[in-house]
Amino acid sequence: MAKGIDDALDDLQEIEGVEACILYRIDGVPITLRARGYKEHLLETMFWLEKQIRNVLGEMNKEGLTETIFYFRNNRILIAPSSRSTVLVTITDAEANQQLTSLETLRASKIIEGYVA
Amino acid sequence: MGRVSTGIYGLDDLMGGGFRENTINMVRGGTGVGKTTFAMQYSLFGLNRGEKVVYISFEMSEEQIIRDCRDIGWEEIEHYIEQGDLKIIHLFGEDLTFPSLDIAEMVRKALPAQNLRLVIDPLTYPTFYSEKEKRKSLSTIFKDLRKMGTAVITLEDPSDGNHIPEGSAMPLYLADSVVYMQNLGFGEMYDRTLRIMKHRGSKHGDSLYPYTIETGLGIVIRASQKQVEKVRPKTKFDEQFKEAIERTRAMGKAGERLSARIKALQNNWTHDEDPSQLLRLVLEEEKKGHGKRN
Repeated sequence: MAKGIDDALDDLQEIEGVEACILYRIDGVPITLRARGYKEHLLETMFWLEKQIRNVLGEMNKEGLTETIFYFRNNRILIAPSSRSTVLVTITDAEANQQLTSLETLRASKIIEGYVA
Repeated sequence: MGRVSTGIYGLDDLMGGGFRENTINMVRGGTGVGKTTFAMQYSLFGLNRGEKVVYISFEMSEEQIIRDCRDIGWEEIEHYIEQGDLKIIHLFGEDLTFPSLDIAEMVRKALPAQNLRLVIDPLTYPTFYSEKEKRKSLSTIFKDLRKMGTAVITLEDPSDGNHIPEGSAMPLYLADSVVYMQNLGFGEMYDRTLRIMKHRGSKHGDSLYPYTIETGLGIVIRASQKQVEKVRPKTKFDEQFKEAIERTRAMGKAGERLSARIKALQNNWTHDEDPSQLLRLVLEEEKKGHGKRN
């Protein structure tokens, strides 16, 4: 993997309130993940994402959306396509600065696009 | 057990040094992912180092294989055929009545069946075989091939790679290692990817690795430094392992076996986390008086 992608994900994970950031391929296969320690609820969310990502992206494409947000328990899950075949997902807790994490996720997804596309 | 280099640039590091000697190694994937390139690259790597190869092709003729190799820049293939180091056997799966006998016999007739590199590309099977017969027959073929050398067998995935019919999955259960190649077809970095689904008796990388097919070189895996590091055993916890092995000394016969296991764990410890907690758990469990019931 390009070091630039690693760096972009490392930076995103450093933001306060970000529990995990995961780069998926559009078929739901996780490419790489950054998470702060083991948390069971993150695993459940990841299983859900693996199954749903293809459908969510299909809907986003239909509606012309650049990002989609889901709320699970105390988590906010932000889904942002990063290229034609990859999608970046950021999972944050309730205290995270939503505007900052949205902006940084979109910024990271642009950086990733530069490497993979 | 010795290792046989896969010949694929970047793959040996992710498979603990290559395929294990005298094993069956399956390369699975859809159309156009590079299964035949993998098989040829594996063959030529051995040939260029003085090894011998039997290549059973159920699809392409010898002429087609030579032409494709020339196009990718592997001109030396003709030399190895002329020299007799590479035997290409072209046949149709439907012509085999008893594959388990036929395939082993063909290899034996082609070259002295020892320490060979063997390739079957792709695995094709008589359709009239029942599932039960198929498993038994495949198991026999694999057993024979293991005695003769280290085999790479390619397996064509159905168009929907996510749902493999029971019959097609059987060779995957029986194989010693399975490499899964994919191509989504968007032309991006993570479209062509390789995963090591299993590698019996060996540590292997469990990430998704992007790869490219380069003229002249063949398949090149573009794993990151971090991904390669993840598979390498870590030596920074040697003290913790040493201490645990010391503690097994007081455990008698069971302790001797345990110390050998801890040594094996130490040699394969690829995690960045300190193993102390795990070692404590193992030592405490092993100290229990198993077999005694209160």
